[in-house]
Amino acid sequence: MTEMFSTLFGQNEAQGPPGSSSLGFGPGKPPPPIPQNQVSMAAQMPPQLVDEGPALRKSGAMNEPFYLLRELPVGNELTGNTNLITHYNLEHAYNKFCGKKVKEKLSNFLPELPGMIDCPGTQDGSSLRSLIDKPPVCGNSFSPLTGASLTGFRLHTGPLPEQYRLMHIQPPKKKSKHKHKHHRPQDPLPQETPSDSDPKKKKKKRDDDPDRKKKKKDKKKKKNRHSPDHPGLTGSQPSSNSLR
Amino acid sequence: MAEKFDNLEEHLEKFIENIRQLGIIVSDFQPSSQAVLNQKLNFMISGLQDIDKCQKQLHDINVPLEVFEYIDQGRNPQLYTKECLERALARNEQVKGKIDTMTKFKSLLISELSKVFPEEMAKYKDIREEDGPS
Repeated sequence: MTEMFSTLFGQNEAQGPPGSSSLGFGPGKPPPPIPQNQVSMAAQMPPQLVDEGPALRKSGAMNEPFYLLRELPVGNELTGNTNLITHYNLEHAYNKFCGKKVKEKLSNFLPELPGMIDCPGTQDGSSLRSLIDKPPVCGNSFSPLTGASLTGFRLHTGPLPEQYRLMHIQPPKKKSKHKHKHHRPQDPLPQETPSDSDPKKKKKKRDDDPDRKKKKKDKKKKKNRHSPDHPGLTGSQPSSNSLR
Repeated sequence: MAEKFDNLEEHLEKFIENIRQLGIIVSDFQPSSQAVLNQKLNFMISGLQDIDKCQKQLHDINVPLEVFEYIDQGRNPQLYTKECLERALARNEQVKGKIDTMTKFKSLLISELSKVFPEEMAKYKDIREEDGPS
């Protein structure tokens, strides 16, 4: 242990005898004088940058043989030692946002908002940032339009040119995914239901199907029909049910 | 608190719906639609007045600028909340880890110093006991 300290406090060892004084425990040892340039630096620094730390204990006989002894931090101070999310009753918010996957797009947050809102606002100059950086020059009040000012809003009849039809563009909704999910279980049904009545039709459909896996499945099912002991016929699978 | 937002939300929804209807009228304009268009335009102005009035109730609400960046990028602003909470928890755990390590280090240092400097450490402990348990 002393060896470790001597390597750490090598300079102090050279100044005095090893032991307690080298660690600053010596009874009458004053604190090392602060170099002049450090004093001026500390004086120049703004108060918020100077880390004062905990208050120094009153020096004197009370603290002997120690100097630079600081007050211990107050125990009930709120620190990172406590779970701050629990402390501020944010568990509900944490579970809400971090428990499940939050959808990425803005249209998922504002599904009722018309128009294409998932595109970056910088593209069409509709960003909120530009509203802050360059606030629009306008008056403080909103006054209704009178008959004379409404004449400026007389429009030509007929449809708008396509480039201005932004209101009709909606972000693609996930209905397509739903469709896929619904279709998957339904897909084998039309292939398999006519199999009992008309085997030729089934063959044709098989040829049309590009998916190899489905072909293999169909072959297996055919085999299953010929072997009654096969567990596939017990009715556990929905496809086998539809075959019967 | 929630009433303030409900009021603003209601006005915003009405305003958006009015704008949507305006868009439909304008997209295929008929001469007979002029009166309705004028009415909708004035309704839009009154809608803006209503939204403007809501700002008095919401003076104490602060929105982080980063949320606007999320919205501008077409991203869900709830992701900002999620990332904030995750970051807070991660930093919380980091700080707790540091505090725990320092506490262990302190107790180990005191026990080791007590072996090498028993007298000084006894005095030190006396002083600290005067201050109260740490």
